[in-house]
Amino acid sequence: MTALITLKGVNKYYGDYHALRDIDLTINAGEFFSLLGPSGCGKTTLLRTIAGLEDVSDGVVMIGGKDMRGVSANLRPTNMVFQSYAIFPHLSVAENVAFGLRKRADLSKADKATMVDEALAMVGLSGYGKRASHALSGGQRQRVALARALILKPKVLLLDEPLSALDKKMREQMQVELIRLQRHVGITFILVTHDQEEALVMSDRIAVMFEGEIGQLADPETLYRRPNSRRVAEFIGKMNFLRADVQEIGDTIEVDVAGLGRVSVQAEQAPMALHKGAAVAGVRPETLAILFDGETTERKLIDGVVDEVVYYGDMTYYDVRIAGVDQPLNIAMKNLIGRPVLDVGTQTKVVWDERSLVLLA
Amino acid sequence: MSLRVYAIAYLIFLYAPIVLLPIFAFNDATIIAFPLSGFTTNWFGELMTNTSLHAAVRNSLFIAVMTAILSTLLGICAARAGAMYRFPIKAGIMGFIMLPLVLPEIIVAVSLLVVVVQIFDLGLSNWTIIAAHVLICTPFCIAILNGAFQNLDPSMEEAAMDLGESRFSAFRLVTLPLVMPGIISSMLIAFTISLDEFIIAFFLSGVSPTMPVYIWGLMRFPASLPVVMALGTILVALSIILLTIAELLRRRGMARAGVKDKGGFL
Amino acid sequence: MFKKLTSTEGGRGLLLISPPFFYALALMAFPLGAIILFSFWTQNFMDVDTTFTLNNYREIITQPIYGALLQRSLYVSAVVTVVTVLLAFPIAYFVSFHVRPDRKSLWLFLITIPFWTSYLIRVFLWKVILGYNGVINTGLLNIGLIDEPLTFILYNVNAVIITLAHAFAPFAILPIFVALEKIDRSLLEASRDLGENKVMTFFRVTLPLAMPGVVAAVLIVFIPTIGDYVTPELMGGAGGKLIANMIQTQFLALNNAPLGAALAVVAMLSVTAISLMFVLLNRRWLRGRS
Repeated sequence: MTALITLKGVNKYYGDYHALRDIDLTINAGEFFSLLGPSGCGKTTLLRTIAGLEDVSDGVVMIGGKDMRGVSANLRPTNMVFQSYAIFPHLSVAENVAFGLRKRADLSKADKATMVDEALAMVGLSGYGKRASHALSGGQRQRVALARALILKPKVLLLDEPLSALDKKMREQMQVELIRLQRHVGITFILVTHDQEEALVMSDRIAVMFEGEIGQLADPETLYRRPNSRRVAEFIGKMNFLRADVQEIGDTIEVDVAGLGRVSVQAEQAPMALHKGAAVAGVRPETLAILFDGETTERKLIDGVVDEVVYYGDMTYYDVRIAGVDQPLNIAMKNLIGRPVLDVGTQTKVVWDERSLVLLA
Repeated sequence: MSLRVYAIAYLIFLYAPIVLLPIFAFNDATIIAFPLSGFTTNWFGELMTNTSLHAAVRNSLFIAVMTAILSTLLGICAARAGAMYRFPIKAGIMGFIMLPLVLPEIIVAVSLLVVVVQIFDLGLSNWTIIAAHVLICTPFCIAILNGAFQNLDPSMEEAAMDLGESRFSAFRLVTLPLVMPGIISSMLIAFTISLDEFIIAFFLSGVSPTMPVYIWGLMRFPASLPVVMALGTILVALSIILLTIAELLRRRGMARAGVKDKGGFL
Repeated sequence: MFKKLTSTEGGRGLLLISPPFFYALALMAFPLGAIILFSFWTQNFMDVDTTFTLNNYREIITQPIYGALLQRSLYVSAVVTVVTVLLAFPIAYFVSFHVRPDRKSLWLFLITIPFWTSYLIRVFLWKVILGYNGVINTGLLNIGLIDEPLTFILYNVNAVIITLAHAFAPFAILPIFVALEKIDRSLLEASRDLGENKVMTFFRVTLPLAMPGVVAAVLIVFIPTIGDYVTPELMGGAGGKLIANMIQTQFLALNNAPLGAALAVVAMLSVTAISLMFVLLNRRWLRGRS
């Protein structure tokens, strides 16, 4: 793995507004990398500083070992798929795709035409070259934007919320296609998204950003299972938080968890350094379970009362009150054969396991 | 329904004077009044031979063309800055530039007269009229060009730069073709306003009058009024043709930018 | 310096806006300043005496003719504004609410065409319509409604008002139309759904939301009409002359530019004061309602 893009101490100010705060980041060649965060967190600004569409106020952006200071967007080995796709409405599909080849004197007209055909074929738009671009559907515009960027064989392809304008079905289809395309061309992809599911599905690594800072940088599984803060845990999926009191820190950690009692967890279940005393224990809804009549378990049980039921078809989400905890526990249950949907007020037993806890400061 | 009747009555009110124009232009009488006396094309013939009128028309055309070009250039700067950039005290600056829209024309005329003649002691010429016309036309140009620039996706130019074009060639290859219909209709409207403007031209014209100033002179001589009618008829026909072109271009621009048509110009 | 300016968005914006800004500064703000300065000077035959004096303003106050002209001008402008905006509103409303969307451009086009035809000639044609042997008199005589031509419709203030109301019609219609177009139609449905009838919906929802357009229309008609001297000259007769005619006379005929400048300043200040008062009252009225 070789580093392709390195950011060191990158800061960006808009007047008094501090949009990027001391960003240090390395992105590897051939990686599918995502910048994930709520709107206004600086992820698009960060992408645009890599593209050269924004200057950095302070710090260094290196691409392929070269300092990009003073190198404008048109001279950088990056190409971008814009959120609005920015398909030139006065040009045909083929003219759009060939736009970046204008200054390539080494290519004949026929060479360029062949390259355009290949690029269109790669994104599944063979035969669309002569079409007027303003008559395309959203999905087709996105494919044209991809072909237009990839035809220049950039070192990095930047994607700014490329799927946000598509409907759910189309979005899921394009996720798979983008992954396949990235494996096929082997180019580094950097994706900006606010959709955690999209980031988890597509990325090799994800940087979660809040307020101009990177909150956590990890592969999708680590990010989901071992979030390093409450806000990362809350932004990616759902998580129940229980008050905890750390007693002993050694090879294992001894901790009192509200409602669950004294447990002993592994050191790796605390992603950040802990101190003795007050802490928070997080547990994902799908790692808890309700013990239905006729089911058995070897895990631990605790009594609870159903407080709220939300039926999703394939899943049912329960809020279950347990003794000693103010907030009811959110529990996700698959609606397997024979499982009823419980009524509010039902007395029930909650299955839990200390291996699914994550301890946060 | 009653609204539609009112609307039609209103249109009659709007068109009442204009309809009379061709009637008296072809009427064989020197007095502009009813009853009509017969058909003639003499007044148009007189137009063709009137050399001082031709000089006035040439003056006005020169002034209108220069005004159209200059005010559209200024309008492009303002509309582009307004639509694509954030900068300090933007609302104040834009409002200041649009101010001539509500400035009484006589104020523009006398203040420029004072500056040119009394303060700088310069002579009046076509250029003093052009300077004033550019001032009052620029807000109209901005209003029209705003539409063109605001319909433009700001990432268009960025995309062109990202694909290897410099800032200037991105503007030339992407923005310019997309706003071209707006530019043409802006020039046409500035041209039309300047061609018709009288109040300022009357104060600021030098030795050679503009067309409206010349018409004003003719109006004092009843005998020349039918000629004015003929001239007016030609001007109306020309305005309608120019405006139709402007409107068609604007619509084509909308269609090209893939925007749904939401209404007319201004 | 240049490099620094172009490197930030704000800098590029300022650089781009500076040509039109400095143009307006040099050809509007500076000349306006000049006439204000000028109004404190005096004309001495061919020269201008640059000692500061309030004589011009004193003369405007003491000579009743100026006050009378200014009063008449403001009256005419106010009446023209009210008439024009009242006549224009239903048209804007009709085009915005009752015309099929694909026909709206055509209607606006029809409304604006008369406005683009020579102003002088249009004013003159109103004279033809309203005159002694004009269209109206001939028509009424022919159908026997009157025995002799009406004379009260030309060469007085009424004729000036009719002509100006015609000339400024599109200036009133367009801003109101734009404001009406911006109104989300579901707001009107919401009002109906909440129990208001059509008329009350108009007064409680449509009209307040259209107010910015009405205000723009009022200002764009009221302010420039003060500066028109063509219509009063041609249509007003002896009793229909306005302040703009006097300014023109001072500058071009009597060669008393400082007094003309003072009159221009007074006219401009009165118009600005009335306009500001109108905007403030309107704002208070809108706030009082909400």
